Amino acid sequence: MDAIMVSGLTKVYGSLRAVDGIGFSVARGEVFGMLGPNGAGKTTTTEILAGLRHRDSGDVRVLGLDPGRAGNVLKTRISIQLQSAALYPRLTVLETVRLFASFYPDSLNPVIVLEQVGLRSSTRVLTSKLSGGQLQRLAIATSLVGNGELLFLDEPTTGLDPQARRALWQVITGLKDQGKTVFLTTHYMDEAERLCDRVAVVDNGRIIALGAPRALIHDHFRERAVEFADPTGIAANIDLTRLPGVTRMERHHQTVTLYTTEVTATVENLLAKAGGNGSAIDEFNVRQATLEDLFLKLTGRRIRE
Amino acid sequence: MKALLTLTGATYKEIIRDRMSLFWFLAFPVLFVLLFGAIFSNTASHTFHVGVAGGDGTVVGEAVRVALRQVPVFSLSAGTREAELEALRLGKRSLVIDLPDDSMVVSGQPLAVALYYDQGQQAMNQVLISSVSQVLHEIERQLTGRPTLFQIRVEAVQAQDLKAMDILLPNILAMALMQLGLFGSLRLVSLRERKILKRLGATPLPRSWLVGSEVVVRLTIGLIQALVLVGIAKLVFGVVITGHWLWVMSMVLLGAVVFVAMGYMLVAFAKTEESGLAILQVFQFPMMFLSGIFFPVDRLPSFLQPVIKAIPLTYLADALRQMMTGVAPLYPLTTNIAVLVAWLGVSLVLSVRLFRWE
Repeated sequence: MDAIMVSGLTKVYGSLRAVDGIGFSVARGEVFGMLGPNGAGKTTTTEILAGLRHRDSGDVRVLGLDPGRAGNVLKTRISIQLQSAALYPRLTVLETVRLFASFYPDSLNPVIVLEQVGLRSSTRVLTSKLSGGQLQRLAIATSLVGNGELLFLDEPTTGLDPQARRALWQVITGLKDQGKTVFLTTHYMDEAERLCDRVAVVDNGRIIALGAPRALIHDHFRERAVEFADPTGIAANIDLTRLPGVTRMERHHQTVTLYTTEVTATVENLLAKAGGNGSAIDEFNVRQATLEDLFLKLTGRRIRE
Repeated sequence: MKALLTLTGATYKEIIRDRMSLFWFLAFPVLFVLLFGAIFSNTASHTFHVGVAGGDGTVVGEAVRVALRQVPVFSLSAGTREAELEALRLGKRSLVIDLPDDSMVVSGQPLAVALYYDQGQQAMNQVLISSVSQVLHEIERQLTGRPTLFQIRVEAVQAQDLKAMDILLPNILAMALMQLGLFGSLRLVSLRERKILKRLGATPLPRSWLVGSEVVVRLTIGLIQALVLVGIAKLVFGVVITGHWLWVMSMVLLGAVVFVAMGYMLVAFAKTEESGLAILQVFQFPMMFLSGIFFPVDRLPSFLQPVIKAIPLTYLADALRQMMTGVAPLYPLTTNIAVLVAWLGVSLVLSVRLFRWE
């Protein structure tokens, strides 16, 4: 049986359809990501799955239970990290994690969990004295310590520096190795690509793509992306989509992205045209398509705008 | 069970580390007792300055002076009529007795004695004038040699000597319990405002345990508060607690519980800590002044009397006064307890129904 099953889930706030009839399932032991811009409905979905919010319609099963009715039976088996790290201000880091450990029947050793999130040296610091990144890691520690079968992490790496992000990726990979199911939301494509077995790309409350990151990219792009900065506006003067192999072009400020099936032919012709035209091409870069490219293709917008 | 213990411990730490609220809940009532105690213990040893003018060298004049000097609370001063009346005007005398200068005792001819007093001191004058008149009548009886018709024996009816502090201590304790209960409820509002309630709601922790741990911590602070106040009143002001400590502490607990529940009821709708504070103050101020803990309320307008009779603080203070220091009760103890329990019931039901967790 799947860890999470969702079908036709809808949540309306006034005239806003925050979640608009989405459906997906998450297998046990899977790391599943919800990827999308702010306001796409990721947090609302997470909170409905964790039993913190009521849905308007649709069917939801989490570990076989309806989170809207299961109450504490379900809450002992799942852990959640909320986006706003809200903790008692006058408890120390260790006291906070101990407190959350006491709520769960099968909790982990608080000190070991703090070690994992890199707060071992701050155990005696009051939470009100922590930096934003430290607070975020403490919030994650309070969800890890419950040792649930299923973890909900809502934007776990937002506000973290690159080093702390990588450390947290390791923790999440470790959870997967232990056979735990992880449901996370993010607006970082690299995070989703690196961590998630499968992702649901969401926009305006709907799922616009669902599957393994590589497969999604492969399905939508047989092409590679040829990207460059175009300060002199060659893309405006020459129709670059007529270059050999090019299927599509995207322009965003000064950055031009050409999606091509024949990288060598495209690049040779592009450079020849630019040279003949006297245009300056900078920050030249050939890469695989990413989830960001996918989002752009499907919505016409970038994720973080 | 482990969760409840850990949570209660965490709540203690949270509150003890909040120096500001600790000051309001513990230090403030203590300062109150010390301050009021200092003011009222001065009036307890008050002496009345009585001025005597005229009648120098006469039999009556001497007799009056000798007699008045024997009254312990009178501090006697003699001077000219003008000087003594001026002193009265300046508030340096409570009473001036003006005796005739040519006081010859002639049978059948009364001597004119004038008593001057300060009109601003109504209550005190009643006592002063009657005691001075009594002294004068006694002198008259001795000088004229008339037989005594009545032998008046004065006996104290009150079982013990009540001092200002005996009334003040239970009143301040009642007030402190009200503050603790009402304003303590703001913590839950602040936890909700900062989304901590939401975070805890995502854990298996039952809400009742969360509220339970908050209440247990409040009650403990209430008990500590009571012990500290009583201790200071005993050691510094020599107040004697007449009631059994177990009953007194039970009443303290009941009072604390009533106001904790009332606090949660009042802040049920408050969105922020600030708005909660505003709502509480709207109720707390009238309760403080209409409960009779600072001044008697029987002379307040009659339309206020139903309000006064509804205020739980009236009953808690009355119960504590009669239990702790044997002050004459306004209501029977059973009435006090019944009203408090009724308030507790109403507040509990309404706060459970109305409190918004999100």
